[in-house]
Parts: sequence; C-alpha cells; structure tokens
Amino acid sequence: MNPAHYDYETLADLAEGLLEDDQAASVNAHLDTCADCRDRSADLADVSRILAEAPVPSMPAELAERIDSAIAAESLNDATVVSLEQRRGRRHWRIMSAAAATVVVLGGGAVVGKMALNGASDGNHSQSAGAPVTDRTNSNGDSASRMAPTMGTKSLDTTASAPKAAPGYSVSHTGTDYRQGQLNQQVGRMFGKGPELQVGGGPGADEQLAQCVSKVAQGKKPVLVDSAKYEGKQATVIALPGTKAGAFDVWAVGADCSVLKHESA
Amino acid sequence: MTSVSMRRVDDVPDKELLARHAEGDPHAFAELVNRHRDRMWAVALRTLGDPEEAADALQDACLSAFRAAGRFRGDAAVTTWLHRIVVNACLDRLRRKSVRPATPMGDDATFDAVAPKMPDPTDAHGVSLDVHSALSQLPFEQRAALILVDMMGYSVDDAAQVLEVPPGTIKSRCARGRARLAPLLVHHRNRRDPKNVGGMEGGGMP
Repeated sequence: MNPAHYDYETLADLAEGLLEDDQAASVNAHLDTCADCRDRSADLADVSRILAEAPVPSMPAELAERIDSAIAAESLNDATVVSLEQRRGRRHWRIMSAAAATVVVLGGGAVVGKMALNGASDGNHSQSAGAPVTDRTNSNGDSASRMAPTMGTKSLDTTASAPKAAPGYSVSHTGTDYRQGQLNQQVGRMFGKGPELQVGGGPGADEQLAQCVSKVAQGKKPVLVDSAKYEGKQATVIALPGTKAGAFDVWAVGADCSVLKHESA
Repeated sequence: MTSVSMRRVDDVPDKELLARHAEGDPHAFAELVNRHRDRMWAVALRTLGDPEEAADALQDACLSAFRAAGRFRGDAAVTTWLHRIVVNACLDRLRRKSVRPATPMGDDATFDAVAPKMPDPTDAHGVSLDVHSALSQLPFEQRAALILVDMMGYSVDDAAQVLEVPPGTIKSRCARGRARLAPLLVHHRNRRDPKNVGGMEGGGMP
C-alpha cells in the first residue's frame, strides 16, 4: 500500500499547499507511517528556519557613504534639487567652515608646494589657495626646501584674491588621470606627497569653471581644483574638505559642469 | 546623518519621505535609504552572493529609486517598491555581466561580508557560509523568493508584489528552492538536537 518514499520536491509542495487534494491526502497518509519522509519534511522546515536565522549583515560603512555620495551627486544633477541644495549649502556654510579650515591647514603643505612650482615655472598663475599656518609636510628635505622660499611670500589670508565670489583656490593642471573609486586616494596622494606633484601651471578659473566650482563647493573652500582627466576624459576634479581630516569630498565634473563622479571618504 | 533641516525625521513615514523627495527636499531620499539600507543590503548581498557586485547593484538601485520616486504610486509599501528595485538591479547585474552563477568562495572579504563573525558558540559564521554557498546554487527566481520569504520574513503576498508575480508562483519557487537546499543544509539540523552538538561526530556529515 505504501508507495515509495516521497522526494523533497513533493514534500515541499505539500508544505506550501501546492498539491492537488487527492495527492496531498496520499502523501499525508504516507507520512503517518514513514519516519524517513517525516524526517525529510522536517529537513524542509529546517531550511526555512536556517535561512531565517542566518545573521543579516550590516551594510559596510564605506558602501553607505558611497551611496550617500552618489545620491548627493544625483541631486546636484537635478535642477530643482540643486536650488534647494544651494539654499541648504548656505545654511551649512558656517558649520562647515570650521571643518574646512582644519583640512585646508592639513592639506596645506602640498598646496603651497603646488603654488611654489607654479611660481617657479611661469610666474604666478594660480590664485593663491589657503596657505597653511604651519607646514608640517613631509620630511623630504629636497623638495621641501625648494618650496620653502615661495611659501614665505604667500599671504596667509587669500580668499580675497579668488576670482568671482568663489572662495580662494588655485586651478592646478596636474595631468592626473583620475580613476573611479580612486579619487580620494589620488587627491590624498597629491596632498600627502608634495614632491610627486607635477604641476603644469595654469590660469585661474575662467568664469564658467568658477561658477561650476562654486556650485559644487556650496560655500566650502576647495582644497584642490585640478583641470585634469577623469577616466581618460577631460574633467575638472574638485576636492572639498571631507568630514574628517585627511579625507576629501571629491567631484569630477565635465566641461559643462555635469557631475561625472562624486566620491567622499 | 545629514538631515539638519528636519527634526525627528525618524517619525516621518516612508511615503511622506518619498513625497518630500519628489518635491525637492534634498534630505528625504537619503534618509529613506538610510532607514532601510541594512535590509536592502541583505537582499542584494544574498541575491548576488558577491559583495562587490552587491554594492554596485545597490548603488544602481538607489539611483534608480531616486529618479523613479516621482512615479511611485502609493499602492504598495515603500519598502516593497524599494526591494523590487533592488532585486531588479541585481537581476540587471546578473544579466549584464552574466556573472558566474555560483560565487567563487575563498576570499576573506567575501567571507566577512556574507557571514559576519559573531561571538556565537553555535558557529553562526559557518552556518552563514553554508547558507551563502547553498543559495548560490539556486536559480535566480528561487533564490529571490526564498530570500524575501524565508530570510527577510516577507509574506508570500508581499513577496509576490516585490517580484511582480502571482502568489502561487512565489509558493512554488519557494517550495522548489527549499527542496534543493534541504540536502545542502541538512547537516545543520544536528544543532537542534542537543545530544549531537559538540558530540563525537563533530557536527554532522560533510
């Protein structure tokens, strides 16, 4: 009378109520007398239990930040949201400026290095950026001493010399080809290692770029504006102070100020 | 996190957040994502198996949701809608890259992501890894159904809404998925029986 044992499929269908009534009845009858099949039914229930009990991993912090940045970049691309962003930006400005100051000082050594190189090569093309109060940059004596002389000549208060209303920054031409996922590191490297910085020198921001920078910066002071490449394409990379020292909020924008990439650390 | 302009955002219902976003509130969407991110991440990670793929899919999903928010019709829960977008983004990734169906196991990042280490004497880590590799052997549809119903605790009807198929389809996908997983996970049954835990057999057959 007892048919052969039932397989997992049939037993799973039974549990989900997917079997026709008569088939369900005969499987149930079989289960009454067959410990093996009851065991397999229990296996199936255990699958659900094991799945339910598998710990839910938290989203990694860096992914959360990456997604926040992507959303922020998306807002920037969206005209209606942008206007609100800008209003918010103004409100945020005072809070952020404290953080900005810190990071500018930290990043300052290399900024000065860049200015020094600019000055040496072809006169002072760069609108000066925030110069550091203290230069605690690398112990690389060689390049450090090359930069030292010009450093003294730069004024500490520099915002006034910036083009338009944008806060003071210089436009670099480092020739860097920035890469997706690397923006922060690449910018960081530039600030961390003065000597490696290859600067072609260049004019200050033209009006279009200045507008773009101020749109992106939202009242913050860029620590780097680099007319360079992103993934091989002409792009301007704008680095703003990040939320913690040594980290940056980096935007790569195209010629029309479209956001190609936003990464923050 | 960034929601300076709103007080007590956590009191705002999902639908309200989405409406605010559609009206141009720059914080609303980030808050919405923030609120549901762990569950969205869990769905993406389980579905794709590979943390990097899952991260990319989730970012795609968030941006799609950001753009599509205006088209959200209030007839489903926002989480249902969000998870649908996540699942679809995962499916897109699978199609586009025709990712290897089973995740190659063996790198630590994958281990840690899919199986968070917990101070748990019952070896939740090991179970997670098994669950992870077992799930990766299922076809996408069965995996997605089981993730929603068995892992995330969705009702069959809600899962049907997420995946946009009839409830009966969810049931049969779940049943078939469980049938395939049962032999793969059967050794974890031992943990239920206290006599076998830590016993001579050391936790079951291979």
